[in-house]
Amino acid sequence: MRRYVQTAGPVGEFSALPLLQRAETRDLVYAGYGLLVVALVFASYLLGAFGWLPHDPRQMDVGLINAAPFTPGHLLGTDFLGRDLQARLILGIQAYFLPGLLAIAISVVGGSVLGVLAGYRGGWVSTVITYFANLLDSFPRLVLILLVIAAFKADIYAIMVVVGITGMPETANLIAGKISFLRQKNFIEAAHALGLPAHTVILKHILWLNCRALLVIQATLGMAEAILVETSLSYLGFGVQEPTPSWGNMVQAGANYFLQGNFWPSTAPALAILATILGFQLLGDGLNNMLEGKRRR
Amino acid sequence: MKLSAILPVARVLRRELAVTALLLLGVSVVVFAVLYLAPGDPLNVLLEGQSPRAQLAAREALGVPHTWYGRYGTWLAKVLQGNFGNSIRTGLPVLPELARVGVNTLVLTLGSLLLTLVIAVPIAVHAAVNGDTAGNTAATVAAYVLSAVPVFWFGYIVVYVFIHWFGMFPLISGAATKQPHAWLYFLVPIFVLGTASGTLAELIRHLREELSRVLAEDYIRTARAKGAAVWRHAFKEGFLIPVTEIMSAKIPFLLGGAVIVEQVFNWPGMGRMAWQAAQDRDFPVIMGVALVAAAFVRTGNLLQRVVFTMVNPRASKE
Repeated sequence: MRRYVQTAGPVGEFSALPLLQRAETRDLVYAGYGLLVVALVFASYLLGAFGWLPHDPRQMDVGLINAAPFTPGHLLGTDFLGRDLQARLILGIQAYFLPGLLAIAISVVGGSVLGVLAGYRGGWVSTVITYFANLLDSFPRLVLILLVIAAFKADIYAIMVVVGITGMPETANLIAGKISFLRQKNFIEAAHALGLPAHTVILKHILWLNCRALLVIQATLGMAEAILVETSLSYLGFGVQEPTPSWGNMVQAGANYFLQGNFWPSTAPALAILATILGFQLLGDGLNNMLEGKRRR
Repeated sequence: MKLSAILPVARVLRRELAVTALLLLGVSVVVFAVLYLAPGDPLNVLLEGQSPRAQLAAREALGVPHTWYGRYGTWLAKVLQGNFGNSIRTGLPVLPELARVGVNTLVLTLGSLLLTLVIAVPIAVHAAVNGDTAGNTAATVAAYVLSAVPVFWFGYIVVYVFIHWFGMFPLISGAATKQPHAWLYFLVPIFVLGTASGTLAELIRHLREELSRVLAEDYIRTARAKGAAVWRHAFKEGFLIPVTEIMSAKIPFLLGGAVIVEQVFNWPGMGRMAWQAAQDRDFPVIMGVALVAAAFVRTGNLLQRVVFTMVNPRASKE
């Protein structure tokens, strides 16, 4: 059921309805699922951080290896050393949660700075930033990360700095685009005419009032990428090492048993990755459709 | 083709070639800077365990420049001559090795790109023409889910299916050419990378959005009203541009995905080489891989710009 309640105005198209009624059902479902995933991840992170786990994640039980889910005492079964999968899945969030937040912070803050410089200043600054963005986009991210690992024996935080930096051009691009769109509106000119200092215009009128939705969306999508990178790297054997669990190295550890037909130890973390990345992506896209109105009909 | 159609392309080609050269120079600076800033250098790895004096003597004997620009200059001059140095692990020259495995990676990425097109285009076109039907929504959701599937796990599923359902074993691709159904070993990694790398979902979404936007344009309505072929009018702006845009934008992601897929399938390509080099801190190899990968990306981008100018000659006058 689609409602057309938009009224054309001089500044843009606004709807009088509150957000929840205006939004399409599909986007609400996307964002709702995403928020559920975010809440679960955050709660599980806290559980792991305080050590409130259903089991000791390192305690082996050789008599009960690769147990199926719903085994008594092990709700999600055990891995190849008989360690509780549920506890390890919860603890695996530690591997990417804080590093992911670091990557987001860098890409959002750095991207905002670059975007404002490119969009607000323009001229040669904009050319330099475009060059910088194209330069970063020239590298496959994983190859760049492997380069940094080879050079610095980088830990996951250093890797996430790289992820954050490579995420900056996209945010910068969106912000610069937004600013060039806003330039056509009168309020920036009006603010200048009123004699407001540039930093007020940039921080309040541009970034806070007009770009915050965009930044939240970028942060959400950035988390999905950070999780993808972390799980890929720990699958490849970089970053978090056994016996510390990470979803990537759990998939890897279960691989041999997977090919023998024992799917669960590898599949459980893979499904966790799938559900989580999907959640962050859907949240980002749902919010994008609701707040930025990108869907053109 | 008329001369007036070629001129703008030539003009853009010249400009884009210059930009590409400048970017590749930047790439070389980044690659060099990362490894220059690294604690220790190839000689540290090579001379591990020897006394500082012996290390210094070895440096002098090898004529390693002291300044960073000296080192960058010598390194770049060698790279431009096609000398990427020798692998620290194997001792083999890097460039021939790279050329050998680079072809495999090229086959893998271009093949998966082709597969992505074959799957995505019908879905996206159908969705753009018919609007929101239940089937289209299902396809969109499926594309979302597929793009979030971890490639490595998806690879295991495919391997399992091939081993246990089709009785094909061992599944060592690329090198295994003497076995029956060798072409299958070849196609499986391409299938995995093409379906689960996220490119599929992105292409469907972008093509669908752009095509439905173009189909709603006034000039399409005019074409429709006068009974002209809508498809012919919508093709350039609604199909060719979005497809080439996504394809060139996704090459870096495919190369990154290739690192994982090559690992899963034991595919002798650049991704595996990069992985091994990162394990061993094999600087010349990882530098070579990064340079070649960036060259791939820039070439794809260049081609996209050329297509864009051919479609829209006005872009050459910007």
